[in-house]
Order: sequence, then structure tokens, then C-alpha cells
Amino acid sequence: MTKNLSDESDVQAATAPYQAEFPYERDEEAQVTRREFCNFLGLTSAALFAGAAGFAGKAAIDARESVSLPVAHIAVAETLTPNSSLNFSYPTDRDSAILIRTADGAYHAYGQKCTHLSCPVYYSRAEQRLECPCHEGAFDAATGAVLYGPPPRALDRIEVETRDGQIWATGRNGG
Amino acid sequence: MKPRSRAGQAAVWQARLIMLVMINIAQLWILAATVDAALAGHYSVLLPLVIASGVCFAITLSIIKWWRPTSRKKTSTGYIR
Repeated sequence: MTKNLSDESDVQAATAPYQAEFPYERDEEAQVTRREFCNFLGLTSAALFAGAAGFAGKAAIDARESVSLPVAHIAVAETLTPNSSLNFSYPTDRDSAILIRTADGAYHAYGQKCTHLSCPVYYSRAEQRLECPCHEGAFDAATGAVLYGPPPRALDRIEVETRDGQIWATGRNGG
Repeated sequence: MKPRSRAGQAAVWQARLIMLVMINIAQLWILAATVDAALAGHYSVLLPLVIASGVCFAITLSIIKWWRPTSRKKTSTGYIR
């Protein structure tokens, strides 16, 4: 007794004569044995382990890379009006940062990566604070401290100095 | 040892599958936690997470390689029922 497992039994007849010489049993091919499924789960487990190890390894290597902290001029920062912000890169071109001039005229700079999941934070002029759009975290513009939301720690702080009327980045500290 | 019945063998296979699926789900959670920790800069928890994932993988391997229904006999050409 043959069991028709799908409604595609007419596919072979409808397609091509070569299938008579090379029959393709669609219904049988669709069956997955327990052993095959077990092996598939084993491969999945290996892939998940490799993924976790690879991601952790890369993060650890990146964390150990010592980056020398140059003194860098932040271009056009002098023209920044109070209660506004400017994006720049420090200490390398890959490290985006944000310079804020608060309403009282003081300059503050932070690494732009949110300490929750590395989304870029932006300066909200209306609220006068740094906000992360991904998970609704917020940071104090003057200190970088967490105001609310999921971020576990303050933003990385970039030291800024005013020299001859120009704004310079001189160092970076973890939050 | 008394050979296990066909229904018993099916139950063992089913149990293996369920355990493997549960371990896979746990590993998926561990991977998500690893990504979370790496992006947040919590480097101290990365090694324990990777070890946990490795333990899960070792358990998976042991289930696939050694936990088999007892009535299955191994021959030179493989397992027979």
C-alpha cells in the first residue's frame, strides 16, 4: 500500500522524461530521520559554541589593544553655540565621539557608544541630555552619568582642554 | 540485558531529541548573553559564558555519540536494530 504524503504526486508526471531514468522520490526525500535530526542539532550546537567563543575572543582581543591617546584638536569646536553638540573621532578614526557645549558654555566630550549595546548616543537639545535611541537610555550632559534606562555605567569620558581659544581632546577615561 | 521494546526505543530517541533541543535553546541564550556582555564591555563574564557553551556542546556530543537505545547492537557495518 502506497501512502501519498503530499499533494505533489503529479509533479513527476508533469515535469520531464528524464525523471524516468533518474527518479526523484520527493516524499521520501522530505522525510528526516531522528538520527539526521540529532546530527543537525549537534552541528547547531557546535556552531553556537563557535559563535560564542569567536565573539568573546574578538571582544577580548579588542579590549586588550592599547591605543595611544594623542592630543587632538577638535576642528570648528570653538564655533559651537551653547546647548549644541558636535561629532568627532577620538582617539582613532573608528572611535566616534560627541562634544557638547552645555547651556552654561562649558565643553564636555564623551565616547558616542552607549554602554548598553553600543548604539550611538545623541544630544537632545530640548532635554539637554544625551539619549540613546535604541533602548531609551539617557545620560547627564555634564557628567555622562546614567539618568535612566538600561545602560549599566556612565559614558566613556573624553578630557577636553581649551588652549588659545581652541578645543583639544587630551585623553579618554572609561565610564 | 533484556532488549528494549520498539516503543521503548522510540521513547529513548524522543528523550534524546528533547534534550538536544533544550541544550540548543540554552546555547542560543548563552550566545545572546555573550553578545550583550561583549557590546556592554563586561569582559569578566565572557569566559564563563564560553565555558558554559562548551559544556553544553560536550553534553550534546556525548548524547549523540554514546547515549543510544541499549538493544541496538554495533556491527562492523554500523548499528542494527
